[in-house]
Amino acid sequence: MGKRDVGRDINGRSPLQRHFRRYWQLYLMMVVPVVYFIVFKYIPMIGNVLAFRKYRPGKGIFGTEWVGFRYFKRFFEDPAFWRAFRNTLSLSLLNIVFTFPLPIVFAILLNEVNRKRFKKVVQTISYMPRFISTVVVIAMMTEILSPSSGLFNQFRVNVLHLQPVYYMNEPQYFRFLYIASGAWQFTGWTAIIYLASITNINSDLYEAAEIDGAGRFQQIFHVTLPSILPTIMVMLILEVGRLLSLGFEKVLLMYTPSNSSVSDIIDTLVYRTGLTNQNYSYATAIGLFSGIIGLVLVSGSNKLSKLLTGDGIY
Amino acid sequence: MPKVKDTSASSKALNVIIYAVMVFSLLICIIPFIYMVSLSLSSPKAIINNQVRLIPKGINFEAYRQIFTYPNFFRAYGNTIFYTITGTFIALCMTILFAYPLSKTYLKGQKILMKMVIFSMYFAGGLIPNYLLISSLHLTGTRFAMLIPFAINQFNLIIMVNFFKALPQEIEEAALIDGIGYFSILPRIILPLSTAAIATVGLYYAVFFWNDWFNGLIYLNTKQYPVMLFLRNIVNGTMVLGDSSSASTDTATLSISIKSAVIITSTLPIIVLYPFLQKYFVKGLTVGSVKG
Repeated sequence: MGKRDVGRDINGRSPLQRHFRRYWQLYLMMVVPVVYFIVFKYIPMIGNVLAFRKYRPGKGIFGTEWVGFRYFKRFFEDPAFWRAFRNTLSLSLLNIVFTFPLPIVFAILLNEVNRKRFKKVVQTISYMPRFISTVVVIAMMTEILSPSSGLFNQFRVNVLHLQPVYYMNEPQYFRFLYIASGAWQFTGWTAIIYLASITNINSDLYEAAEIDGAGRFQQIFHVTLPSILPTIMVMLILEVGRLLSLGFEKVLLMYTPSNSSVSDIIDTLVYRTGLTNQNYSYATAIGLFSGIIGLVLVSGSNKLSKLLTGDGIY
Repeated sequence: MPKVKDTSASSKALNVIIYAVMVFSLLICIIPFIYMVSLSLSSPKAIINNQVRLIPKGINFEAYRQIFTYPNFFRAYGNTIFYTITGTFIALCMTILFAYPLSKTYLKGQKILMKMVIFSMYFAGGLIPNYLLISSLHLTGTRFAMLIPFAINQFNLIIMVNFFKALPQEIEEAALIDGIGYFSILPRIILPLSTAAIATVGLYYAVFFWNDWFNGLIYLNTKQYPVMLFLRNIVNGTMVLGDSSSASTDTATLSISIKSAVIITSTLPIIVLYPFLQKYFVKGLTVGSVKG
């Protein structure tokens, strides 16, 4: 520990000099990464001042003259912004409502599987989709739902004798497909966290429950669930903290002009106004607004989860 | 772990539910891939007649033969391999060089740097400032745009820091007394002890670079496109495959098997390597969740 150095000044060196003589290699080691961090993480952060400045091509990333809240006023009056805001919130909330319970149920049921090999195989395969590219996920979904040859429409046409439906293009299916593909990709992965929490449960609890005559159903509801409730709470709070950060890339991949009434979220709006139409300052203002709400949500939810797990309500 | 002495009817019912759910989950995870393989191997005629389900009809390798004749597919695949290897290498070097000093809590400024790292996870520069930064650094249209901006991922960095913190300090102190500096301690003592963490973080980076397409879309020229962007472009029709000389009736249906063949070939490395490496994938989640 560095504290030992404080009293020992053998060669008349100050403690600080000794500290750097001893650890200079560690400091030197991180020079490049720190510079990297400043350039690629903090300069863009400061670059958000562009929201208050007018952008002129070739005049750098911080814009030219101050214009105050002009761009903010403009998007507050823009119905396209409010549509994107509503779409972001409803897609996000629906996503939490439908996908949040799945990994919990999956983990509890998986934990009840008695055959070890089978359990391992199911678990391993269940979190593989997490590592598949979003592009591939959407491409596979497009093919499965294809109106001309996809599995679903084959069933509709051949068995139900209905007209084929172009699922990927119809606005009423967009939210369902976004949520379902997310569940497909992340249920197994998120379940790992709950499984870890379940394996930490003291086995005495189960033995005691068994002696009291509790069957497996009762054990699930009276031992397993209450024991992982703190984990569930933390996960839920963190999920709410990420309310505004939807899978932008996935939405962009699923976006078509015909489903834009539901699929245009804040991030895609920023992308379109900023990069496609090159209204840099305006798009930065929208991005900054949602970034600040996101920051408030994340730090608020983190505080809350620390409060809950720290002193614990339970 | 619940012990199974319970042989009641309700327990049996539970078993039925459990195994049904598990088999269902397995099928749901696997079927899309089987369907893609099946489409990629089926004849255009079978596809157009809606006969292809999970077993390929009229097996042929035409789609694979075709995509390997497209120079832009080959180039995109090669680009992706390049981005993945160099990107992962750069990212691992940078992450280790930052994580090792950050794991030494006695360094001056360590706490501030750590806070700086964590804050940047919660509040980022946003799309436009990042885009303008990359273009003002003249990285747009160069392959560096796919590599340099992603050299450190904060989550991976924290995994490494936590791992280094958990290593025993005694070996290091002994080396220091022998007059060995940190520049040699890191590669000679620390890294050999850290292969599991390096494998985990390296895999996360490799998967990121392999799957990345959006940065290619906004920063690169067509010739530099990674395979995922190539796939996205043929799926949404931005890019038309092949040449007009192929028989016109076949192109629409052949393109379905071609898309599937691209899906399979571009996902193959992950699927093939996955069973061997899956234990490393999970490690990061458990290490990373205990951030201080």
